[in-house]
Amino acid sequence: MTRQRWFTPWLLVAPAAVWLMVFSVWPSINTVILSFTNAKPLGGGWFTGLDNYDRLLNDSQLVDALINSIVYMMICLPLLTLLPLLMAILVEKKLPGITFFRTAFYTPVVASAVVVALIWGWLLDDRGMINGFAQWLGVIGEPLPFLTDRWLLLLSAISLTVWKGLGYYMIIYLSALGNVRRELHEAAAVDGAGPVRRFWSITVPGVRNTMLLISVLVSVSALRVFSELYVLSNGTGGPGGRDMSVVMLIQLYSRGLTGHLGYASALSIVLLVITIGPMLLLLRLNRRGA
Amino acid sequence: MRARRGGFNTISTREKAVRYALLLVVLALTISPFLWQLSTSLKSLDENIYTATPSFLPEHPTLDNYAGVADTIPVWSYALNSLTVAAIVVAGNLIGATLAGFALAKLRFRGAKLLFGLFLATLVLPGEVTIISQYVTVRGLGLADTLLGVALPGAIAMLNVLLMYTAFQAIPKEMDEAAVIDGATVWQRLRHIGLPNVRGMLSVVTIFSFIGAWDDFLWPLIVLNDPDNYTLTVGLQYLNGTFANNPRLIAAGTMISFLPIVILFATLQRFFFRGVAEGAIKG
Amino acid sequence: MRRHWAGLAAVATALVVGATGGCGLGTPEQAAAPTASVAGEVTGKVSFQTWALKPKFTDYVQGVIDGFEKKYPGVEVEWLDQPGEDYSEKVLSQAAGGNLPDVTNLPPEFGLPLAKQGLLLDVAKADPKVTQEYVAGGLDAYRYPGIEGVYSYPWYLNTDVNYWNTELLTKNGLDPAKLPTTLDELIEQARTFKEKAGKKVFLMSRRPELLDLTNAGVQVMSPDGTRFTFNTPEAVALLDKYRAAYKEGLLPRDILTDTYAGNSKLFTQETVAWTTGGGNLITSLAGDNPGLAPKIVPSAAIGTPPLYVQGLAVSARTKNVPAAVALARWVTNAENQAAFAHLVNIFPSTTASANDPFFSKSDGTNSGDAKVLAFNSLAKAKLLTPVQVSDAMKTIVAQQFSSAISGDVTSKEALDEAVAQCDRLLKG
Repeated sequence: MTRQRWFTPWLLVAPAAVWLMVFSVWPSINTVILSFTNAKPLGGGWFTGLDNYDRLLNDSQLVDALINSIVYMMICLPLLTLLPLLMAILVEKKLPGITFFRTAFYTPVVASAVVVALIWGWLLDDRGMINGFAQWLGVIGEPLPFLTDRWLLLLSAISLTVWKGLGYYMIIYLSALGNVRRELHEAAAVDGAGPVRRFWSITVPGVRNTMLLISVLVSVSALRVFSELYVLSNGTGGPGGRDMSVVMLIQLYSRGLTGHLGYASALSIVLLVITIGPMLLLLRLNRRGA
Repeated sequence: MRARRGGFNTISTREKAVRYALLLVVLALTISPFLWQLSTSLKSLDENIYTATPSFLPEHPTLDNYAGVADTIPVWSYALNSLTVAAIVVAGNLIGATLAGFALAKLRFRGAKLLFGLFLATLVLPGEVTIISQYVTVRGLGLADTLLGVALPGAIAMLNVLLMYTAFQAIPKEMDEAAVIDGATVWQRLRHIGLPNVRGMLSVVTIFSFIGAWDDFLWPLIVLNDPDNYTLTVGLQYLNGTFANNPRLIAAGTMISFLPIVILFATLQRFFFRGVAEGAIKG
Repeated sequence: MRRHWAGLAAVATALVVGATGGCGLGTPEQAAAPTASVAGEVTGKVSFQTWALKPKFTDYVQGVIDGFEKKYPGVEVEWLDQPGEDYSEKVLSQAAGGNLPDVTNLPPEFGLPLAKQGLLLDVAKADPKVTQEYVAGGLDAYRYPGIEGVYSYPWYLNTDVNYWNTELLTKNGLDPAKLPTTLDELIEQARTFKEKAGKKVFLMSRRPELLDLTNAGVQVMSPDGTRFTFNTPEAVALLDKYRAAYKEGLLPRDILTDTYAGNSKLFTQETVAWTTGGGNLITSLAGDNPGLAPKIVPSAAIGTPPLYVQGLAVSARTKNVPAAVALARWVTNAENQAAFAHLVNIFPSTTASANDPFFSKSDGTNSGDAKVLAFNSLAKAKLLTPVQVSDAMKTIVAQQFSSAISGDVTSKEALDEAVAQCDRLLKG
């Protein structure tokens, strides 16, 4: 067998494990402890048992936020697992000018939130391009409230997430596509398989692991959405706060000199619980598929 | 890239046309923020940028806004600070995530499963309320007000460990087994079989960690105390002062901070494809 | 090296002890309430933190600092200017880490939680002359219910005046010489405006805030500052007025999700013809939309004008009380504040500046008129939003008011919900 001392693997994972403990696990333990207190960021506060959790049960904004998160995930998951793959296939072939296209497709990922908000505002607000165009066509009489209606605002934010996510997941797919053996494609092409069949029978199985990782990443980040909803609602979370996500709620309570760390921590635990679900499901699917 | 042989790789003119058409459609969808930023940054003060239909082409293009940014804030020293932080973060992630990803994907050891589960769990661990306690930790290490302190928490990101894990896992087992039978050490396996086959993911990790470090605002603001040490993202906030506001200047500042990312991306994107298929198999 | 080991030990201790490391529980190394006195030699190092004054006022602030160092040889000021965004998080991390600068610019609502934790110096105790030399409004902003003392040297003041886009007014059938002076007149004029303007431009775009309730005679909080009381019939009546106006289409849909600044943003974009803003609005617009600036006329605010105060707090844990107090006093003295006010339309908090003819005389420009209007308003201006109102509470009030105005819930329901949620945040 291989010349591997028992401690070699541990040596390799040690740095990452230290970071894991200090910067991820430890703060999380801290969060769990804080969730049983009414701590304030400047100190003070005491253990309050299950008070925060009791309060969670009566928080109508949390119910809205949970519904929003789930809708968010259901729509984002299929779109952001498939579209970036198609985009990666589109830019994979080396054509003249392809570097420009690849780079341009990636720019939304790094565009500043302020600029993105501005441009989506022009697109979506009452005097914006979409409403203007639809009114000109005569499809609608009154402008649609893309930025103030509960569900339309949610959909607008979802489109923004998808738009920003395309380039991000595209490049992960690109690096995985390099591992799909060209011989397989060639053989299939010789057998007379069209591009659609080759996509499903060769490309998708070839990037299966990556696809799984991406679907986990997409669902986790959809459940944790913050900036898109924040930016499109100017931080207000919409009328009645009905367009807040769980993370927006956490920020609302935890930020500032008088933040409510205890309640925000309890909300974080809720977030943890709801994100574990889809992740385990995907892992189960993976095992079954393997 | 090497010239390809005929057959499968030749693209018919029709396919080319379809591809370019699709590329242009996606381009139209994605490029607008960049164009807006660029054109605003080139507009002169007397051009109204608030009309209902702002034009994409500046009436009197000018570079004054760029000079204005450089006059107002020490752009170069801020950019150097950002680069320092980004370099530490990129190096840390390339090394830390590669080693851990390789060990988890290719070596068998007790506790590997548990450890992998922990890494995966960090994706769902809530980090929203921990920023102040994070600061207290970094301060406790004596790293408050240093660029190293800014770089530290992000120096090995768990996401990157998972990305590297996936990449190593994609290497066909046969390649590795052959080396094991030949009596290769762990180090040799990593160097000669692992690394050449994950170049694509290494460049993805480089880009992700660079951008993460480059764009971060709140964390460097909290860790650094002396404004001279600020990173570019924090420093650019000075363009948005209390009694002054000029979107043209802010757009120019944003363009300046955008540039390194674009250059890095354009340089690295050709490595995305250096996977197994690109001849590394012979390695 | 030693320091690092100490650091590691600290982390290890934190790991064992649990959630004590300044991240919530326990008090962060309580200040040993110093019996500070200004007496003592002004010398040594002192740190001074301002908020978003660079780069526009770099020369001014540096000049003030140079003057201080010249007056007290041997003193050395370390000036830190922090960017505008997330200043509360910056101050919070400084306070939690025990390194709040010796002298820090804090708005009153930031000062309250710090003073509660004993992190700020009672300047009235350290320097009794404060109460005579600064205007009452400025001092009151830093007197907190339930805590004895004054917790900052008042610095510059501002208030809101109305700004009107004359071009939009005349184009849409209104007379800039007959500007509305009450809410009812404003709504009436918005109706006239709308007949001509349709749905592309508007007169009004401001969602009411807590300060509007105060102005309508509503008591926002109980006098002891322990609970909110703004769900009164007067408040319902005010929200109902806005609700009706919104239904009539007199306000753009944007108000449902705009923040306080949204109104002036729409004004800058020339989508609305009216905004409120500080005395400096026209000059800051000159750098943003220079074409708009000359078309603006100011007028006095509707109702009682709000008072906005900035102050310089002294850290209770400063190692150099004499220098810190002397610096805060120096920066906020009549002379230095007047020089500041000549650069931008803000107003000194010193009693000695009250009769400065500079403020009561316009140079004839619309910005000069705004300055005079704002200065005259200051005499009547009051703190309209209680200092206990945090950002989270403001967000909740905005959400509930929007909900009422949009017609989702009744005004009474929205106010009750807002009071309940704010109370919970206050007590939590």
